Amino acid sequence: MGLQPFLVLSSALFCIGLFGVITRRNTIGILLGIELMLNSVNINLVAFSRFNGSVAGMVFTVFTISITVAEMALGLAIVILLFRVRRTAMADHLDLLKG
Amino acid sequence: MTGEAVAFYALSAMLVVSALAVVLSKNLFHAVLWLALALTGTAGIFLLLDAEFLAAVQLLLYAGGVVTIVVFAIVVTERLVGETITQTNRRIAGGALVCGALLWLLITTVLERPLATERPIMPDDLTKAIGESVLTRFVLPFELLAVLMLAALLGAIYFARPEE
Amino acid sequence: MRTDPGTLALVSLLLPLASFFVLAIVAPFRRLGRPAAYFSVLCATGAFAAAVMAWLAQGESTIPTLHLWEWLPGQGKSLATVGVLVDPDSTVMLMLVTLVALLVQVYSLGYLHEEPPKGLGRYYTYQSLFAFSMMGLVLSPNLLQLFMCWELVGLCSYLLIGFWYPKPEAARAAVKAFWTTKLGDVGFLIGIVLLWRSAGTFDLTELHAMVQSSTLPLAGLSIITFCIYLGAAGKSAQFPFHVWLPDAMEGPTPVSALIHAATMVTAGVYLLHRTSWLFALTPDVLLIVAWVGAFTALLAAVLACVQDDIKRVLAYSTVSQLGYMMAAIGAGFSAAGFFHLLTHGLFKALLFLGAGAVIHAVGTNDISKMGGLARKMPITAIVFLIGTLSLAGIPFFGGYLSKEEILGAMWAGGLPGPFAVLMLVAFLTAFYMFRVVFLAFYGPSHVAASHGELVMTTPPDEGKIVHDQPGPHSSHLHDPPASMLLPLLTLAALAMFVGIYSTLIGPLLPAEAAEHAAPGWLTPSAVGVAVVGILLAWLTYQRRTINPESLASAFGPIRTAALAKFWVDDAFIFVYERVLLTFARVVGWTDRYIVDGVLNMVSAWTLTAGDDLRTIQTGKAQDYVYGVAVGVLALILWMKLS
Repeated sequence: MGLQPFLVLSSALFCIGLFGVITRRNTIGILLGIELMLNSVNINLVAFSRFNGSVAGMVFTVFTISITVAEMALGLAIVILLFRVRRTAMADHLDLLKG
Repeated sequence: MTGEAVAFYALSAMLVVSALAVVLSKNLFHAVLWLALALTGTAGIFLLLDAEFLAAVQLLLYAGGVVTIVVFAIVVTERLVGETITQTNRRIAGGALVCGALLWLLITTVLERPLATERPIMPDDLTKAIGESVLTRFVLPFELLAVLMLAALLGAIYFARPEE
Repeated sequence: MRTDPGTLALVSLLLPLASFFVLAIVAPFRRLGRPAAYFSVLCATGAFAAAVMAWLAQGESTIPTLHLWEWLPGQGKSLATVGVLVDPDSTVMLMLVTLVALLVQVYSLGYLHEEPPKGLGRYYTYQSLFAFSMMGLVLSPNLLQLFMCWELVGLCSYLLIGFWYPKPEAARAAVKAFWTTKLGDVGFLIGIVLLWRSAGTFDLTELHAMVQSSTLPLAGLSIITFCIYLGAAGKSAQFPFHVWLPDAMEGPTPVSALIHAATMVTAGVYLLHRTSWLFALTPDVLLIVAWVGAFTALLAAVLACVQDDIKRVLAYSTVSQLGYMMAAIGAGFSAAGFFHLLTHGLFKALLFLGAGAVIHAVGTNDISKMGGLARKMPITAIVFLIGTLSLAGIPFFGGYLSKEEILGAMWAGGLPGPFAVLMLVAFLTAFYMFRVVFLAFYGPSHVAASHGELVMTTPPDEGKIVHDQPGPHSSHLHDPPASMLLPLLTLAALAMFVGIYSTLIGPLLPAEAAEHAAPGWLTPSAVGVAVVGILLAWLTYQRRTINPESLASAFGPIRTAALAKFWVDDAFIFVYERVLLTFARVVGWTDRYIVDGVLNMVSAWTLTAGDDLRTIQTGKAQDYVYGVAVGVLALILWMKLS
């Protein structure tokens, strides 16, 4: 088992997550896509860390997980707030920045 | 094929399938459940990479914490659980094309590079090593992380405060 | 009092400027009219006194006195200076300018006594500025300052010719004078700039030194001198730029005197005299100057013969005399031209002020409506006669020696063609001037009986408005009041003095001593043609031995052409209306539809493109993520392929 399979797996997860971010209508769905992408990054970090023999990547995985959780908590709070104000959670209804 | 490889490919298949289900499932609630499965699978991958501590953290924080709050959010925002309105937008073909092309490019790039195949020797107790690094070499990012967490906590409280 | 001529000249220069500033800035004082006029006259008197003292202090010395201030700092030495250059030429000229300016200002006190106080104040403000600019021009140590004063002079003449601006002819004449001279000024400016490029300095003394040491590059010098000549031709009314001068008669008569005698038109001649060492290096340009001068003299003299307006006769005679001066400069004897400039300044001012007195009394410019005035206005008639004899070049009168010198210069310069032309002009000059004298001052009167009704029933001649129209009081024909008479007598005395002195003793000023030996037959023949001219006028207009009509019909075609001003004005109008306006229309069309069209099209495209482009800003976060994904994809592809 070399490094390559892990990276291929991580790439696949990343692209699936990106696809979710681009296509999901629901804001919560978009957040789920982001989770997938971050997850793939974590796999990447741990895999490189293991195959390079350095513990740093794992430490950073700890950090990213924490940050992800914080981001998730805030993201969901925003979603709930948006829903309160606009009565919708659909991302394509939120186009106040339209040019 | 070693047992390790078998485990890896099984986990990989599970991960890809559940990830696809997360992004394609019409029911958001189901999508969250699929995400929980994907996160658990990731914990398995961590185990394969000798990172037991991270696998534990993954399970606790993600599969335990994140999924729970997402379920709460869905309950608050979706009027009908199990509603089957269209969950994808018009970008579906374009998105698939772009993501597919990106995936293809990434995989070919990974495959054409000579990458490490042997795992170097690492300390037996990786958890201890991680803990020591966090409090020595990475103490500053660690403290910053604490500040970030505090800010996120305050932010979440601010957003979620009752309407006046 | 210090005896440094430079300081005195500076005082003389700054007095009119002070007067101008006081009158221009202190509006209540200016609007008082008379007090403002007295103040201006006082300053002019001071300026004249200082100019005389400067002349006396300069004395026989030919060493120039320089007072310079740095104006535009440059690398090493200053790019341009301002200051005064005092030498024999400039002091004499300064004296003439201040004298005529002073006399004209005094004269105007009487001439413009009906002008409302506000107008009078404005008049004296312009007069002060005019005097200052001309003096600044005369004293200029460099071409740049000279050009600035040159333009100021042009501006002042515009303001004064158009002094009665409610009168359409006056406004039009002012604009005409301005634009016609401006046409030449463009050439002058180009000439100065070109000269600076090749010599690296504006300074007259430095340029002179370069010429003397032969370090001035000769390449392209002909173009430079020709350009400078263009400016001088515009100001000094050389053909074809002479068209503005007769029209400038629309201004008050004292202004005409000032413009014709001491300022404005003399500026061109003075400029060429100042830079004569430069022109000496370009004989081809000098030849042009001489021929154009002679031709202008002839053309204007012929035109003067058919005019009935007394001021226009004088105007054309000025053009003609300027042609004389230019011809002398062209022959290479600029001192002769300058000498004539000085004497002409005296007697032309005299003639104009005399004509002003006549117009003031009679109320018209038309000599056919005068006649027999010598009995009613004896003093005016005498001084006018003195001026006329001076202009004709009769011995013992002002213009005698200077005219002789010019003719001698032409002969000595080896230009028999222009010499012959100028002899003919001398004859014509005597003829047309005495035609005026006989028609206006002698013979049967056409005024006395009918003058009272004439003013009331006949529309004023040539659209004169009330300003130039004497009031009812002037139906009593008499010599003008003291304020007008004094300048007349002063000028007449000076003209006589110069004439007698130069006839009996020789040139008045050492600088104007003859530079050439005139052949012995010159004096008799020059005086002879003048006498013949006078005789012809006498026979035609006094004795009526020759019928004026038959004389006119003998020169039918020329007369017709002269009455049409030889179609020079028409040529200008043709060039303006046909060529320039057509060109302007083409340019305007190109600008409107092609230049603007392209710009409008570009701006319209930009607007449309902006409108179209803003639709890609959907405001949806996912679309931006999509864009980022596409961008990343493109980036990776590019990295892979390159």
